[in-house]
Amino acid sequence: MTTTATKTTRFIDTELLSDLKRFGAADVSACFSCGTCTAICPLVDNDSTFPRRIIRYAQVGMRDELLSSKELWTCYQCGLCSDSCPTEADPSEFMAAARRYAIASYEPTGLARILYTRPVVGSFIAAAVAAFFAVFMYASHGPQDGASLALFEFIPEGLIHWTGVAVMVALALAGVFGITSMARRVARSEGVSLATLFGGRAQLSKAGKALWSALGIESLGQRRYREDCKDDNPVEPLYRRRWLIHALTIWGFLGLFSATILDWGLALIGVKETGTPIPLWYPSRLIGTIAGIALVYGVSMFMINRLRQVNRAAQFTTASDWLLLVLLWITGATGFFIEVALYLPNAPAWGYWIFLFHVAVAMELMLLLPFTKFAHAMYRPVALFFYALAADKSKQTV
Amino acid sequence: MSEQPDASTSEQADAGTSEQADPGKSGDRRIGVFICHCGGNISDYVDVAKVRDALKDEPDVVVSETTLFACSDGTQQEMVAAIQEKKLDGLVVASCSPKLHQITFQGVSKRADLNPYSYTQVNVREQCSWAHTDDHEGATEKAIGLVRAGVAKTRLSTPLEPLVVKTLPKTMVVGGGVAGLRAAVGLADIGLGVVIVERASALGGWVAELGPMYPNEHSGREQIDFLIAEVAKRPSITVLTDAELVSKSGSFGNYITEVRVKGSHSQMVTAEVGTIVVATGFDTYEPEVGEFGYGIDGVVTLPEFTKLVDSSKGPLIYKGKQVRTIAYVYCVGNRQPAGGNEYCSKFCCAATVHASLKIAKRDSELRQYHLHRDIRTYGKFELMYSESRERGSVYMKFPDETPPSVAKMADGRLAVTVVDTQTGNEELTLPADLVVLVTGMVPRQNQGLTSVLKLPVGVDGFYNEIHPKLRPVETVVAGVMIAGACQSPKTLSESVASGLAAVTQSAGILLKGFAELDPLVATVDIAACAGCTDTCLASCPYDAITAVDTDGRKVAEISAAVCKGCGGCVPVCPEDAIDLLGYTDAQMRASIDSLSLVKEPVA
Repeated sequence: MTTTATKTTRFIDTELLSDLKRFGAADVSACFSCGTCTAICPLVDNDSTFPRRIIRYAQVGMRDELLSSKELWTCYQCGLCSDSCPTEADPSEFMAAARRYAIASYEPTGLARILYTRPVVGSFIAAAVAAFFAVFMYASHGPQDGASLALFEFIPEGLIHWTGVAVMVALALAGVFGITSMARRVARSEGVSLATLFGGRAQLSKAGKALWSALGIESLGQRRYREDCKDDNPVEPLYRRRWLIHALTIWGFLGLFSATILDWGLALIGVKETGTPIPLWYPSRLIGTIAGIALVYGVSMFMINRLRQVNRAAQFTTASDWLLLVLLWITGATGFFIEVALYLPNAPAWGYWIFLFHVAVAMELMLLLPFTKFAHAMYRPVALFFYALAADKSKQTV
Repeated sequence: MSEQPDASTSEQADAGTSEQADPGKSGDRRIGVFICHCGGNISDYVDVAKVRDALKDEPDVVVSETTLFACSDGTQQEMVAAIQEKKLDGLVVASCSPKLHQITFQGVSKRADLNPYSYTQVNVREQCSWAHTDDHEGATEKAIGLVRAGVAKTRLSTPLEPLVVKTLPKTMVVGGGVAGLRAAVGLADIGLGVVIVERASALGGWVAELGPMYPNEHSGREQIDFLIAEVAKRPSITVLTDAELVSKSGSFGNYITEVRVKGSHSQMVTAEVGTIVVATGFDTYEPEVGEFGYGIDGVVTLPEFTKLVDSSKGPLIYKGKQVRTIAYVYCVGNRQPAGGNEYCSKFCCAATVHASLKIAKRDSELRQYHLHRDIRTYGKFELMYSESRERGSVYMKFPDETPPSVAKMADGRLAVTVVDTQTGNEELTLPADLVVLVTGMVPRQNQGLTSVLKLPVGVDGFYNEIHPKLRPVETVVAGVMIAGACQSPKTLSESVASGLAAVTQSAGILLKGFAELDPLVATVDIAACAGCTDTCLASCPYDAITAVDTDGRKVAEISAAVCKGCGGCVPVCPEDAIDLLGYTDAQMRASIDSLSLVKEPVA
């Protein structure tokens, strides 16, 4: 758009709020910017204030500001703000919806938007993608025989390997695009440039510390989720705490992922062939088993919580939320069935079919990562990185 | 239509003066003097016992006492008893300023059957003890002189009675808008005759042009039609349209007015009325070209916008195109910096929010942005504001120093730049199809009426009341009241309420059939009057003095009902033929002479 009057100002997107509502944004029209939500949030500090400001962006139609807010991803949706909101505008649910909107906005294909806003079409796509992988791999299937399960006779190991590589490349491309898209916006809004990150020794060291804070302390360690989020009221027993369920899911997923890489690595260096029978204590199997238990436990708790709507975060569910949980759960659970089938005598035939299902769903899970709620695994660390940078900066100036 | 005025003119009773006592002669009065301690305020600096003793021997003084608090209930009762027992015919209280307690002690006199004009208050606090805290002896001396002067004035006092004037049971209502119409109905219902004078060719004013209004969504037109029907039902109301009040003469309660009625043949109508209610309303602010983009196609004022909303159905169409985004800019022409229209018009926030709600209900996809300095939807209007926000209207408060600006964009839409204080100081551009300038009220230009009625105009251009809280509809012109938005910006309900307040005030004056006026007025000693009259006539700001023929001789005559007792004519008379009752030359001279007695040393 051009204007004779104003060239430097940002245009208001008058449709922003109505668009956000498609992603489940609670009706924040009632919000009169009192700031009670920001005051009560245990995660708010001088380096990041929300949700009031973010809600205001949405009300006014400040799309760029909304999408360049690291604050979107600083929130873990404990729901304290919604409990204390005088106008019942439900700020915590708004933040969740704004994150969905951001996921859909950072990726260019429009797939995330469909998965979030059109549940029927989204479910159909989800089923179709799984079916595609299953049919694609079944088309090259081999015999189901042998004394024990010969899974890689049934579906050739090479086919799985190269399909997996293709999926990972697609994931990487989409991931890099999304992360770049987000990081550029946030960097501009935070006043961070390449020079402030890599301009010298001090800058590099600061960036390194921020990266460690984002990936290590917060993403793997879940420090603030664990220590600062006061979301347990009344206090839940440890096994039901939200941060632990979340951490077990992360650790389980990463464990399974590393077990797969380890198995492949062992084959690469010639220790063992992929698919050869191994005992339960074998490192890749042991890691996979423990990680699988963690993942299935975490995901199952998430699903139970959503079904019972035990907390604010579980009150509102989009089809896309379920898609991620279901794909994760199927991947984890079918892994155990395969493991049981592997140690059973007489190689039961259902083991083959479950294996096919497992592989197809795992492929889909990875392929759809940037387009579902799973994408937060990419975006949250980026936001936490900028948060750590900002925190560091403020310490220096004070 | 022409109103036949009541033939009987008012009877103006002369000031009741009894036989004049011989000035200077003493020994035939019985005066009581009370000197107040004021709990130390006076007695700490003035030796009140000395004052009392000095006054004891004063001729005509039969009681001289000190009191701790003269204004206390107990002391007032003691004074009443003293007046009755000692058969006093004059009272002097030496205490505080007459502004504080003159009425109190006049009341004491009345309760003791003593004429209240035989009472004199001497101010020995503000004008003596407080002023001379460093000189007790001097203060005491001065107090004695002041009280003696008060006694001297009282000695020559004559009992006065209030002036009683007959009043006409009829009120003229100038302005046939909602305030004037409701006042007219109210006046008729308490039994007063009414003449409505409306400058336009039809009754109704601004409200007649309005659509559905908050809270019951009755249109302005319906409400005016209801009032016009009520007016028509009352034969005691005469309606003059295309009419202007052009002159007013006569005195309080008996005004003779002339109304010019235009038409095919212009005519003058004379109406005699007891009171006048001015309800001439307001004008809306007309922005200057370029003010917030006024003049650009698509930039409209609030009245234009409400008309657009009320005259259509369904989604809003402006010049053939559907309006999808509206930007409202509040406080246009109001709350301006010093020198401009500094006031707030009160109604505009509510009117705008209401209009915006009406259109929101017709088009849920419409985007509405309210750019404001503050939203003042006070009282029950707050509910409307809440509903408006919940329906998705966005309210953006901009800083005073960075007001919005409006410009045309290349695509034909309007670009409104605004800074939202709730997100930071970044300038944002709002693309809009329609910009509504929320214009407030300005005083109506009414120089003719203002000078005919001598109405007081405030610095803001609206008519002024006597007291904004306690006397909200009376003006300094006795018998002339103001109602509605000619006084200050008002909502419809506030205008109606002030119209009805003017009804009560009119009734208070007219229903008794007479009015009592202060008898402290100027009188002419006809024998002494040389008939020159030029000087005294010119000195009177109230046109109370006229030249009349008496026994073939031209003399000045003062209308007691019109005279305000200012005393302006007294000193200008070359023959000393004018005297002010209650403050006669003889009284003032005697007072001054008594003061000078203090030259003698105090024992």
